[in-house]
Amino acid sequence: MLLVLADEHRRHLSFLSATTAAVVSEFCRIAVEFLKKGSNPKIYEGAARKLSVSAETVQHGVEGLMYLLTESSKLMISQVDFQDSVLVLGFPEELNKLLLQLYLDNRQEIRSILNELTPDLPHYHNLEWRLDVQLASRALRQQIKPVLTLKLHLEQNGCASASVLQTDPATLLHLIQELEQALGEMKSNHCRRIVRNIK
Amino acid sequence: MELPESALAGLQSLAHPARLPHKTFQLLLEAAFHNLLHPQADGTALDHAELGSLDPTLLKQSYAAITTCILEAGKQNADKSTLSTLLEECRFGSERIDTFCTEYQKNKGKVEALLGSIGRYPSHITDVSWRLEYHIRNNHLHKVNQPSYLLTLKAENGEARSAEDVTFSCSMEQLQDLLGKLKDAAKSMEKASQM
Repeated sequence: MLLVLADEHRRHLSFLSATTAAVVSEFCRIAVEFLKKGSNPKIYEGAARKLSVSAETVQHGVEGLMYLLTESSKLMISQVDFQDSVLVLGFPEELNKLLLQLYLDNRQEIRSILNELTPDLPHYHNLEWRLDVQLASRALRQQIKPVLTLKLHLEQNGCASASVLQTDPATLLHLIQELEQALGEMKSNHCRRIVRNIK
Repeated sequence: MELPESALAGLQSLAHPARLPHKTFQLLLEAAFHNLLHPQADGTALDHAELGSLDPTLLKQSYAAITTCILEAGKQNADKSTLSTLLEECRFGSERIDTFCTEYQKNKGKVEALLGSIGRYPSHITDVSWRLEYHIRNNHLHKVNQPSYLLTLKAENGEARSAEDVTFSCSMEQLQDLLGKLKDAAKSMEKASQM
């Protein structure tokens, strides 16, 4: 699958072919850093002064690179497809190699950053448990009631929460049985067939 | 086993065969157990015609006394001899003691279950439901291709607080982690039960 670059995007990136390899690799470094830590517009001004171009040109160059990287990482395009996609930019061979290396080096990390943006349900983080035997209560003395207290830690968008729950031995065994079936389902013929066919 | 003065007085008034025929005593006893164990019936067991002919004060007093006695016996896990001694002290005849004790033994388990359900406790898990999905892509990321589970732990609580089910998602590895910990807990529980 090839990446389709819009005319505007190409225009923004074309500035890079007019500069030296050192400048381009510096731009690449900045683009990757902005993707990881968020952008910092102050850097544009400094770079623009050094290269004696407008700050806007620099910004477009960096953002163009960021967009190129996120789009290719999002689609997880192959090495060959990436090379073919950037061909239309008409960059020198050396610059194309640089971009490819940049893409391959940072693809996984960019994907994990993009993954954080996906809609998030509360998800499992940890489980702590404690085994007690209830011996008496205000309303009833002389009990022997095994109780498993569970503290379930969940996480959503980086926020942790915990719920305290309890259960009895019979239900615990039922839960285990049910969850084992859930895990086993992924190995069933049906699931394996579907997974094999989704590429 | 100790009962308050009012309950003792109520029991004593039940002991008189002249004031309360044995048949009525038996009806009253059954009604008391029935009302305790079926709170949703809203006390309809007392609507029996034969009980209606009783003096309302006597009915109320003795009904309250029987109920108190049953609950206290259940709470203390009283055995037959403890209960008989108490009833003897309230001048019950042996026939009524037998009737009371038989009815008590018959319902003891249910009374204990009722008393055991009173009190505060964390939400009690009763069941789990699950759903398996294969995450293919989203607007930020293509080719995600990861299985993902959505679990709902069904929970219930005493009458006081409404139950809150807990729903969360987890990956296969996380589900394995969760399952491993639950199995550990089950193993500990089994060991503890053999002590």
